[in-house]
Amino acid sequence: MTTRYRRMQWMTALGVTTTLALGACGGGGESSTSDDSIVIGISLPLTGDFSEPGKGVQRGYEAWAKITNENGGLLGRQVELKILDDQSNADRVVADYEQLIGQDQVDLVVGPFSTRLVVPAARVAEEYGMLFVEPAGAAKEVFEQGFKNLFYAAPAVANDHYNHLADYLLALPEDQRPKTAAYAAMDDPFAQGTAYGLKEKLEAAGIRTLVNEVYPPNTTDFGSIAAKIAASKADIVVGGSQYQDGVNLIVALQQLQYQPKLAAFSTAPTNPEFAAAIGNKTEGILSPTGYAQDAPYPSNQEFVQKYTAQFGSAPEEDEANAYTTGQVVAAAVTAVGCAEQGECQQKLVDWVRNNTVETVVGPLSWDETGKPKGAHMIQQWLGGEIKIVLPANAKEADLVYPKPAW
Amino acid sequence: MPSGALLFQSVILGLLLGGLYALLAAGLTLYFGIMRVVMIAHSAFLILAAYLAWWSHSRLGVDPLLSMIVTVPLFFGCGVLLQRLLLARLRPVTLTMMSVLLTFAIAVTIEGLLGYAFTGTQRRIQLGYGSASFGLFGARIAVVKLIAFGLAAVALLTLYLLMKKTTFGWALRATIQHRDAARLVGIETERIAGYGFGIGLATAAVGGTALALDTTIYPSLHWHWIGPLMAIIVVGGLGSVPGAAMAAMVLGLAQSLLQIPLGTTWAQTIFYLALFATLAFRPQGFFGGRLAQRF
Repeated sequence: MTTRYRRMQWMTALGVTTTLALGACGGGGESSTSDDSIVIGISLPLTGDFSEPGKGVQRGYEAWAKITNENGGLLGRQVELKILDDQSNADRVVADYEQLIGQDQVDLVVGPFSTRLVVPAARVAEEYGMLFVEPAGAAKEVFEQGFKNLFYAAPAVANDHYNHLADYLLALPEDQRPKTAAYAAMDDPFAQGTAYGLKEKLEAAGIRTLVNEVYPPNTTDFGSIAAKIAASKADIVVGGSQYQDGVNLIVALQQLQYQPKLAAFSTAPTNPEFAAAIGNKTEGILSPTGYAQDAPYPSNQEFVQKYTAQFGSAPEEDEANAYTTGQVVAAAVTAVGCAEQGECQQKLVDWVRNNTVETVVGPLSWDETGKPKGAHMIQQWLGGEIKIVLPANAKEADLVYPKPAW
Repeated sequence: MPSGALLFQSVILGLLLGGLYALLAAGLTLYFGIMRVVMIAHSAFLILAAYLAWWSHSRLGVDPLLSMIVTVPLFFGCGVLLQRLLLARLRPVTLTMMSVLLTFAIAVTIEGLLGYAFTGTQRRIQLGYGSASFGLFGARIAVVKLIAFGLAAVALLTLYLLMKKTTFGWALRATIQHRDAARLVGIETERIAGYGFGIGLATAAVGGTALALDTTIYPSLHWHWIGPLMAIIVVGGLGSVPGAAMAAMVLGLAQSLLQIPLGTTWAQTIFYLALFATLAFRPQGFFGGRLAQRF
């Protein structure tokens, strides 16, 4: 209660200050926004818990602004970023967006990093009627708040990561389809979400679940879980994993010489150290991925090339999601032909709601809650390399099913 | 109803796990026997040894088993110094309680230093034979798990022979049984206690290496181990090495089998249920352990 009371006080104080400031400015020159550039306000966790991914997101936004300006800017105007540090603090993020929108009069805002900060930030943007595209905030709760201006700029939320794989499996001829499945997921909303998204779809199609294990995040011994899965002789195994748990589970399954027709694990197989960690026995392992540097989407090559030139290393998923956010906003601004507070914002929101945007992670479109309608690409380990195999329009190789022995 | 093959596989996994628990609990019960010290830092030393094994493999390219040539004597020395310089200074009246605080501090220090040196990233030794296994009546036995079990068996057997067949072992057991009487017959109990502590810590070096072969390690992992190990030594009878070994095998097996119906999360509770039952119905432990009664 205290914090809410204090925040109210804070906001009142801020409101008064803003009003005074505006009054003082009156008909005078319109401070920083009077020059011709489009100012985009962002609050990011540059220090504190989320500082690592926060800086990644910052690099993504900076790369987007630089590339956009090199290509002539938006509506013929240059793009300028105004970035504040919220110290990974949900109270600070609210104050930051209040300041950016109310006091600094930025033309557009885009989202911060992590669900915990996206939700309070989106609430402020909603109050001011601003378009709010965000690069991180994949959890279910984000889309249950009734936000009307929010859009998540990534291919899919956790539960939809495996959609392409589900479509592929269900499209197989009846006699080749798997009949049984085993699932093991970490007790974590993201990791479980990926595995259970696939589980629901396969169960609905009549593929029986033989094993459904949930393990605590600190589990280090996967012998017994692997024994259950191996004994069930399920046709396919799906792991809702982060990194080390995925590695441990795969090694434990290999120790028991379990040879499924398909093995899919989230996150772990896309890690650069994965192959060495399991002794290079990677053949046929599948993994969903939200971003791939070699994905063939038109703008992606430019992004990877220019990003690498700017920062000295290739972009990862955080950077790509921030860049995608910029692309979505840019597409809306270009189509609608305006970028300022007021009525323009609603037009931008309507445009994003009703259109598909080409981005570095593929074409994106959204449902009425702002949840992306896409799915993650599926990658498979083939001949010692991880390659995109689904969807068909982005693939580098054909999916191998049943998978070879590992 | 689980199939026979799954039950048999789980029994094998349980026995392999129990062997590791037995070795890890042996050191812990030894400290209590010698000094009535509750050594919270035992599992922190375990993780330290695991990190040293990982480090020597990934940075120096040495087989993790060879790291024991350094870690076992090193930990023995640490144990002697720890007992002589720190624990021996605690006042006998409050020894048990104060030793909890002191060793807790040591555990946190080790965890902090590990995090500082190696970061909080989870590590796993990448062995060429990591996923190798062989068949036994339809079940699979992983080579690394068998090596870990073998290490535990050899270390426990050595400990047993040391305690039963050597003059030092007799002196150590006499010190455990009755310190004043031992002193009366001319045993230098202070020195013996120091060496006993060193041996306890040396088992942590062997156990940590065995642990590192087949699991992920991270600095705060020791909190995950100390609970089950404490439960094992109470069930086995405080101070009794054979009791701890028996309890470890039984509980390891029970945990492995309970995972079939209950899942990973709930199977862990067997340790605490066993601890609770022991304290409620048979506080001196189920497998020997005369000490608890006098305590």
